[in-house]
Amino acid sequence: MSLSLLFQAVLNGLSIGGVYAIFALGYTLVFSILGIINFAHAAVFTLGAYFTFTLMGSQPFTSGLLKNDVLPVPLPFPLALLLGSAFAGLVAVGVERVAFRPLRRRGADPLLTLVSSLGVAIVLTNAIQLLVGAEIYSFPDDTYGTLPRAVNFGTATAPIPVRSVQIVIFAVCVAILIGLTVLINRTRFGKALRAVAEDATTASLLGINTDRFILLTFFLSGFLGGLAGTLVGSSVSIAGPYFGINFGLKGLAVIVLGGLGDIPGAVVGGLVIGIAEALVPGDQSGYKDAVAFAVLFLVLLVRPRGLLGRALVQKV
Amino acid sequence: MSQFFATYGDLFVSMTLMAVLALSLYLPLMAGQLSLASPGFYALGGYVAAILSTNPGSPLLQMFPYRGLFPLPLLLLEMAIAAAASALLAILVGVPALRLRGIYLALATIAFVEVLRILSLNFDITGTAVGIFNIPQPFGTHIEYLWITGPLLLASMLFVYRLERGRVGRALIALREDELAADAMGVDPTLYKVLAFTLGAILAGMAGTVTAHLLNTWNARQGTFDFSITILAFVLIGGSRTFLGPVLGALVLTALPEVLRFLADARLVVFGGLIVLGSIFLPQGVVTPALFERRQNRAPRPGAPPPEAGLGP
Repeated sequence: MSLSLLFQAVLNGLSIGGVYAIFALGYTLVFSILGIINFAHAAVFTLGAYFTFTLMGSQPFTSGLLKNDVLPVPLPFPLALLLGSAFAGLVAVGVERVAFRPLRRRGADPLLTLVSSLGVAIVLTNAIQLLVGAEIYSFPDDTYGTLPRAVNFGTATAPIPVRSVQIVIFAVCVAILIGLTVLINRTRFGKALRAVAEDATTASLLGINTDRFILLTFFLSGFLGGLAGTLVGSSVSIAGPYFGINFGLKGLAVIVLGGLGDIPGAVVGGLVIGIAEALVPGDQSGYKDAVAFAVLFLVLLVRPRGLLGRALVQKV
Repeated sequence: MSQFFATYGDLFVSMTLMAVLALSLYLPLMAGQLSLASPGFYALGGYVAAILSTNPGSPLLQMFPYRGLFPLPLLLLEMAIAAAASALLAILVGVPALRLRGIYLALATIAFVEVLRILSLNFDITGTAVGIFNIPQPFGTHIEYLWITGPLLLASMLFVYRLERGRVGRALIALREDELAADAMGVDPTLYKVLAFTLGAILAGMAGTVTAHLLNTWNARQGTFDFSITILAFVLIGGSRTFLGPVLGALVLTALPEVLRFLADARLVVFGGLIVLGSIFLPQGVVTPALFERRQNRAPRPGAPPPEAGLGP
């Protein structure tokens, strides 16, 4: 692999890795507070993409109950992106109310939450199918304005083209990650959030409304998931109601790699897997999707609590 | 009646196969290990059948040429080969992976299933993305598959029932309740965990072998992550404390989408909703050990000590 190809692969890897990181942070936030993996997160990711697509109102749906329907007031992409992600956040809040809170109240086995959150995922995915069908929807060509298709990082003789969408996505990811870091480390909200994550009972004794913080965390998680869904959907296309599943699984690989519930870890894990995938040579691209899981499996065998995870001493 | 069996033959056969798969997930869970690897071994078993019965270079076809329907003894032989292959793979994967606990093990087994899926998408021998077609039929109609799947399910149930009652079962349950204490009492955690995992893998592999013939085709869409969680739903909603729970859960939940067919396109939405409700309102599952204890309490044997109140896990 020549140096310029390597450079190109790393840039592409950073872009997709950034999306992995944002998506995986949604898992991590919920895990850090509840110690549970939300299997409906991939469905929220998918919904986010559909929400933004609907809000942009550029083209009608071609199938399902909403066939030929289109939003009468089309919104510009940045606004639709924010609003669509916020709707995804609200759906995640609904997921918490329906699938997590009742089980928490009853002190049920955490394993059961895997099943109930999967039940919600089945509902959401099939509701999408019912409403807009299994068609592939592509965002309009001018979604990202009049940017050139690609930016050349090389010279005229030795070009290193990188799609400008990828660069925008990477920039958005960096902005979101910085925002989130500030939110969690510098604000009262973040402090309370960390307190709930550390020990929910003590936090509630200190006057923090834990149920409210859990809802807020789900909102944030759904927002990040919906945002990631839109970014992927707009750079490729929305490939039907199931397009989140692959991402959902890779997100699991990312958070385990970084250590479950570890926020910087999720970012590092996302970038590592993004770059590792981008480095798979083109003629072996069929194996690209296996990279994340092979890395996950190997990391777990060597470091059972993740790359950046802390060892847990077992007490008797 | 024959019309009924012709229409629902497939359903009855897949209900029994799903029950076997539910038992395959239940076995490691008996030892407290949440393994979602069953679909991986199921896929492997299916590929064993598909390759051995369609590939012109297959030693099975060269040694035992046949005409007409695929001979039953060959199907049984395939199941034995699939069981051996699954057991081998389970030991190779299980020995390092079962050091992991709880959700980490679940995630590692998800990764295992995905890696197998992607490999089968890329290998020529597994038919790449297209898969393998024209897998020969051992029976004229689908309902007749019950001659294989029925005894397979009954044998698996009997095996797990005997296992639960015996020394190995007690060791597994001891590991589930407290691994450190069990270890201190001389139960080798690694040995028993790998044993339970391997037994589960064997059941899943054999179920895959039969399913490949039933479906006539096998590809990388068989045995995916969704399927792992579906099987987990069978076990948890059925009840994970006795072997009857997973079997009942699988039978009912497999039939449910068919029963809901009158809802047309909305049926999977309702199915998902029922899974949520099931996990909220039946946290112990439908079948719990308490169900049996109560029956015994009603008719205490003469001379037996009075039953303790509030017993049961």
